Amino acid sequence: MTGLVWLCKRETLRVSKLWTQTVLAPVVSSMLFILVFGLSLGGRIKHVGDVDYEVFIVPGLITMGMVQAAFANNASTIFQARFDRYINDVMSAPMRSWHMTFGYTIGGIVRALAIGVSLLVLAVVLVNVPIEHPFELALAISLGLVLFASLGLVVGIYAETWDHTSFIQNIVILPLTFVGGVFYSIDILPSPWQELSHVNPVFYLVNSVRYGFLGESDVSIWLSLAVTAALAIPAYAWAQHLFTTGKRLKS
Amino acid sequence: MFRDPAPALQLSGLTKRYDDGTLALEDFNLEIHSGAFFGLLGPNGAGKTTLISAVCNLLRITEGEVLVFGEPHDTLKARSWVGLAEQDINLDRFLTVRETLEYHGGYFGMDKDEIEGRAEEMIQAFGLTSKRDVRAPKLSGGQRRRLLLARALMHRPRLVILDEPTAGVDFELRQELWAYIRQLHSEGTTILLTTHYLDEAEFLCEEIALIRDGHLIARDSADGLREHFGVTRLEDVYVKAMAS
Repeated sequence: MTGLVWLCKRETLRVSKLWTQTVLAPVVSSMLFILVFGLSLGGRIKHVGDVDYEVFIVPGLITMGMVQAAFANNASTIFQARFDRYINDVMSAPMRSWHMTFGYTIGGIVRALAIGVSLLVLAVVLVNVPIEHPFELALAISLGLVLFASLGLVVGIYAETWDHTSFIQNIVILPLTFVGGVFYSIDILPSPWQELSHVNPVFYLVNSVRYGFLGESDVSIWLSLAVTAALAIPAYAWAQHLFTTGKRLKS
Repeated sequence: MFRDPAPALQLSGLTKRYDDGTLALEDFNLEIHSGAFFGLLGPNGAGKTTLISAVCNLLRITEGEVLVFGEPHDTLKARSWVGLAEQDINLDRFLTVRETLEYHGGYFGMDKDEIEGRAEEMIQAFGLTSKRDVRAPKLSGGQRRRLLLARALMHRPRLVILDEPTAGVDFELRQELWAYIRQLHSEGTTILLTTHYLDEAEFLCEEIALIRDGHLIARDSADGLREHFGVTRLEDVYVKAMAS
């Protein structure tokens, strides 16, 4: 287990050494969203359901900041390690494949949690966001982070250039997050957009986190958690498979 | 000096075919006894780095078996016995000299107290004291090469694999690295060295294997190879072996 502990430490060290890039920048951009969308649009859109608009968008923005960080961190850490070939130091070490998967997953999760906690503190101060269901919130965030941290690993392992990692981030994850109900309730969407929202996995994650914070959700919390879990488990298993077989990691 | 009865390295029927169809090693057999200083010579593309990568679990073997001191090479025990300094500089860009050594020790299961002492020992032995808190990308080429070797030796491996360790280094550093490697060997460590420098192989290695196109052409001491090929210089052995 010593190897696993040191790999976790290494991945955490990378996040902390680059904290302005890995934590501060995403926190600032999410806060700008809260200020620009919440406080300016909040003057026009007073409430969504029974919730003030600036409070309504906080859970989605925290989710968005966290999942993007989890994905980006792990995609870049593993791609960099492959590109510079210092991953060989880990691959040749007496570590089990699950140590490697778990160790490399941790960095993204730590970074996402640092962002999430910072945003939560700021959101409590600025708009007094409540936490109605802490257990469901913790579960939703855990599942979401496992999903996106694992996806980051998989993409970082398959990527052949830096562009591949940013392509998935910008063309897949970011749009799905934006249309996943971060800024609105799908109740206001006309058909077929409302129905189409239900095939967006990020929609379920945003709603489960929103339920944890506000006690309100567009769909059942258990359905949201089940969908997120149904994606997180195979994503982690996929990353584990790559480390077990050495596919794309070993020639 | 204690010599392990099991060979330090035993390759049986080792075959590696890459995904693009290139056959890098074919039915390769080799045994290196414990405590040996063994040299592997061959042109680019002969299969030297493939062989090393196979031993160090850095590629997927197509067929065959690799044993390290009698243990299958992919077991945790066997992995902990091998130290590798690769041909290309592959240092973690986020870590300082000291961290590079400490994290390597951690990955290889050393405990914290042992790590601290050994890292300091390696830093001093390789003349990196003034650079201990400098990140790898800020080191000079020679310092990086030293750190690479220090990292390979950090966990006190029983089998040290050096893939062209002196490629592109200046005369002084080459002499320094030679001295350190020889000292290491005199302490009982088994060394497998690949090199393009024939003088290096002759000066350091007790036994030399010549490989070409994934096959073993010959193996013997430098004198034995000269005698076998009927020539007086190792360069001529090399030329004859590669042309045969």
